Amino acid sequence: MVLPERQVRRSRRQVLLALAPAIAVCSAFAAPPVIEIEIREHLFYPPEVVIPADTKVKLLVRNLDPTPEEFESYELNREKVISGNSQAVIFIGPLPAGEYPFFGEFYPKTAQGKVRVE
Amino acid sequence: MLLTSVVLILQETLEASLLVAILAVATLQTGHRLSWLPWGFLAGCALGFVYASNLQRVSEWFDYVGQELTNAALQLTIAVAVVLLSWLVVRSHARRGSKRAMDGDAAAAANGAEARPSGPPAVLFALLCALTIMLAITREGSEIMVYLGGFLGQDDKVQAVLIGSALGFGIGVSVGLLAFYGLLALGGRRGRWIPVALLALFSGNMLAQSALQLTQADWLQAGPTLWDSSTWLPEQSIAGHLLYALLGYESTPSLAQALAYLAGVAAVVVAALVATLVTPRTERRTP
Repeated sequence: MVLPERQVRRSRRQVLLALAPAIAVCSAFAAPPVIEIEIREHLFYPPEVVIPADTKVKLLVRNLDPTPEEFESYELNREKVISGNSQAVIFIGPLPAGEYPFFGEFYPKTAQGKVRVE
Repeated sequence: MLLTSVVLILQETLEASLLVAILAVATLQTGHRLSWLPWGFLAGCALGFVYASNLQRVSEWFDYVGQELTNAALQLTIAVAVVLLSWLVVRSHARRGSKRAMDGDAAAAANGAEARPSGPPAVLFALLCALTIMLAITREGSEIMVYLGGFLGQDDKVQAVLIGSALGFGIGVSVGLLAFYGLLALGGRRGRWIPVALLALFSGNMLAQSALQLTQADWLQAGPTLWDSSTWLPEQSIAGHLLYALLGYESTPSLAQALAYLAGVAAVVVAALVATLVTPRTERRTP
C-alpha cells in the first residue's frame, strides 16, 4: 500500500520527535574533543591551545622528557603529575570564554602555557 | 631551581604537617599517647614510595584517570577516618568532663593523675590517627619523591634541589610545630573544641579535593563555578597556600566541591553531636 506523501512526512516527523531525547542524550555523552599538548625540554608545545566555550575537552598531555612534570593550573583547578616519557589525560571545562594559564610545577620557569576559550 | 624546590616541598609538606599538629593536640587533650606518630609517618613514607614508583602504571588505570581515582580514594578514606576520630575525641571529652563534674572541682584540679584511656577505643584512636597521617603522607610524599626522583643523575642540579627541598620541608614542619604549640597553649574548655572544629574543616577539605579529582577524571560533573575570589586572594599567594592547606581554600570553587566540603563538615558536626548525646546518662549527671 502506498501512503499519501503528507502522511509519510508526518510519520517521519513523529519518528524524529520520538528520537529527539535519545539524540540529545547521545550528544551529551559524545566523546569530548581531544587536544594534544607535548612537553619537550620543559616547554609546552603548543604553548597556547584554543578550545570552544562551554564544551568539555580532553587534554592529552605527552611528556617526552625523561623527567616527571606536574601539570598545574590555578585558573583551571587542575593538578596532575605526569611521569617521564609517558602521557596523561586531564578533562577540563565546560568553561566560559577567557584565558586560563597553566604551568609545569616542577619546571615553572620554562614550562608555561595557556588555554584560550572562545 | 632552589626556590622552586622550596615552594614545591613546602606546599606538599604543609597540609600533612598541619594535620599531624591537629591530631597530636587532640591526642594529648584526650590523654592518649602519641605512639601513632612515628608509625604513621614511616608507613606513609613507605606507601608513598610504592605509589611514586608505580605512578606511571597507576596513571594508566581506568583509561588514564587512575591517578585521580587513587587520590580521590585516599582523600575519601582520610575524611572518613577524621570523622571517626572526631567522634572518639568528643566522646572522650564528654566522659572526662562528666567524671570531673562528679568527682568535684578539687579532684579535677588534681587530674594530672587521671587514668589514660585504655581498651579498644584507645587502640582504635591510635590506629585511626596512624592511618590518617599515613594516607596524608602517602599522597603528599609520593609527589615529593617523584619530583626528587627526576633529578637523580642530574648532578649539576641535585645540590640546589636538595638544599631547597630541605628548606621547604623545614619550613613546613616548623609551621606544624607552631600550630601544635599554639593549639596546645589555648587549653581550657574552649581550647578543646578548636581541634575538633579544625578536623571538621579538614574533613570538608578532603571531600572537596576528592570531588575535584573525580571532576578532573570526568567521573563527576563540576556544576557551575560559585564565586571568583582570585583577584583579592589568589591561591598562589602565601595566604592562599596557607588557607588551602588549612581550610582547602579555592578561589574558583565548583558546586560539586562546595557540596562535598559542606558534607565533610556536616559529618564531623553530626559525629560530635552523637558522641555528646550518647555518653551514658549516669556519667553525664552533675552532682
